[in-house]
Amino acid sequence: MDLTFSARQDAFRAEVRDWLAAHVPREPLPSMDTAEGFERHREWERRLADARLSAVSWPREYGGRGAGLLDWLVFEEEYWAAGAPGRVSQNGVFLLAPTLLAYGTDEQKRRHLPRMARADDVWAQAWSEPEAGSDLAALRATATPDGDGWRLNGQKTWSSRAVYAEWCFGLFRTDPESQRHRGLTYFMLPLDSEGVTVRPIAQLDGEHGFAEIFFDDVFVPADGVLGGVGQGWKVAMATTSSERGLTLRSPGRFMATADRLLELARASADQTLRDAAVRAWSDSRAYRLHTFRAAARLAEGVELGADSSLMKVFWSELDLRMHELALDLLGPAAPVAGRWLDGFLFALAGPIYAGTNEIQRNIIAERVLGLPR
Amino acid sequence: MRFSFTQDQRLLAEAVREVLEKTCPPEAVRSGPRPGPGWKALAEVGLLGAHVAEEHGGLGLTPLDTVLAFEETGRFAVPGPLAETVAVAPLVVPAGRHAEIAAGALTVTARSAGSPYLPDADLADLIAAGTLVAPHGEVALTRVRSVDATRPLFTDDLNADDSPAFDHAALATAAQLVGAGRRLLEEAVGYAQQRRQFGQVIGSFQAVKHKLADVAIALEFAAPLVYGAAYALAHDEPDASRDVSAAKLAANRAAHQAARAALQVHGAIGYTDELNLQIWLNRVWALRPAWGDDGVHRARLRAALLDEARPEGARR
Repeated sequence: MDLTFSARQDAFRAEVRDWLAAHVPREPLPSMDTAEGFERHREWERRLADARLSAVSWPREYGGRGAGLLDWLVFEEEYWAAGAPGRVSQNGVFLLAPTLLAYGTDEQKRRHLPRMARADDVWAQAWSEPEAGSDLAALRATATPDGDGWRLNGQKTWSSRAVYAEWCFGLFRTDPESQRHRGLTYFMLPLDSEGVTVRPIAQLDGEHGFAEIFFDDVFVPADGVLGGVGQGWKVAMATTSSERGLTLRSPGRFMATADRLLELARASADQTLRDAAVRAWSDSRAYRLHTFRAAARLAEGVELGADSSLMKVFWSELDLRMHELALDLLGPAAPVAGRWLDGFLFALAGPIYAGTNEIQRNIIAERVLGLPR
Repeated sequence: MRFSFTQDQRLLAEAVREVLEKTCPPEAVRSGPRPGPGWKALAEVGLLGAHVAEEHGGLGLTPLDTVLAFEETGRFAVPGPLAETVAVAPLVVPAGRHAEIAAGALTVTARSAGSPYLPDADLADLIAAGTLVAPHGEVALTRVRSVDATRPLFTDDLNADDSPAFDHAALATAAQLVGAGRRLLEEAVGYAQQRRQFGQVIGSFQAVKHKLADVAIALEFAAPLVYGAAYALAHDEPDASRDVSAAKLAANRAAHQAARAALQVHGAIGYTDELNLQIWLNRVWALRPAWGDDGVHRARLRAALLDEARPEGARR
């Protein structure tokens, strides 16, 4: 066991820290769920890209640095410790890109990744449907062959920032006779395609962070398919047991929140809240160490499998607990707009998105513990 | 950065597991003599002398080398003052007697100033109260009724100071709690897979699944804190005491959650003397306050993280 970083990793950390110290905006950017905030976040992504810091783990030819998992974890620790802006391109960079790198053609990678790295194209996801939420395999949106391509019909929902984004990716049923996980295909298409209607949904906080997307005979050329026709479920899930299980939420984010929480707690005389703050710090440390352990296992060739479900429940509940605690520590100032309140509202969504925690607990019980379905 | 154990560290744990599977079945823990054949087996695989220097016949290992092995001993609820003999004794008993520890010929129990209770003092040749070490025969011991009959507690007439081995013992105890918690989870899962109600096994009900999933999560995230603390202690890092406290708190919490869930899943039969489940339940409830209860370790964490004054009765 070695819990120290290499000299090269330390140098990379120093470079990232210096760059962030010089470039992170002093005032927080407006919410990325607003039109203005979205564009400000896009500009920030371009500055990151100019320094080759927007997608460090991608190959160099697509705008990354070819950084390994540990380097990425170092980057993330520095990024969140510096209080840098949220990542408006996260759906593309962290959800689509690993799949694109694994299953995309060279042409698809060349076409999409460099523009994604610079946030020239921001990607929205098109997974959930009104009748397919936790039960994603119940999805009904269809794609039917038409000449050289496909015609898409149906409705997707809970698509973050689709109102402002350029492209979307998601699963559509290409085999009308198919059931459940079979007969699905992974598509990528521009949101300004003819027949696409994006309708904003106001969130809890009043902003239009969500949208519904309606597809009315939308034509998508054949190269809009990622992976094989009918392989959509496999393609979408394939990377969840590898690094993606780790890269959905890095520990750096929670360590940074815990450190800010300790600052608040130091000023409090409430022993219950002080104890809760040190517990939150300890849990963040546990998540960090667990991630390093998972990284070591990946390096040894062990698949993570359902471990990403354990991690998802843990970090989403930790994040929410930390923000609830921050509001408790703020007392009468809790409802005042600011970083902690924004963070709390965002953290509330954590146990819901990326597979609800109820679904994750089922997965843990069935695949980790071996209880019957 | 490589958060994983070496082949040797894993092999020691596997060896401990193998010998305990043979010598320390639940029936032996419940009704056999204490410490029983498991203790002798642990001497033979070298665990009893693991922290004793090689010049005295030990293995010269660090807490990082033995943490997985301690976890296994928790899984089997081995009777006897193991954390005290293995992790404490080499730090408080004069070097002249270390060879006896390594040979399994000297059993030691210990406490620090923060607690009046000695575990397994009836089995001990030496009693360590902080830095004070006395032969069994020179200490007035009184047995007190306590939760775990396989780990009896005693009071003494010694004036204990802080033990220099407090962190080592707390870490070993935390590892045992993780092991006991894992065993409780296995027992609960096994029972939920075969007990039928309403025409199906109870493990197919989400209320049961989610309860056990939460135990799995708690254990999964307690273990890295324990391993990280072992690393810090082995490398004498300045934050080692802080890390040990975080580890003990997480292990206490996870093991207790495992105990509660295992009992609930077993239902009324779990509340009886008929099942072996009680071995691990009672051991968890005995080990939680051992070598620093939650209050002690929370205070140490607050001292390290929130600049509070350091608590008394808990070294460093």
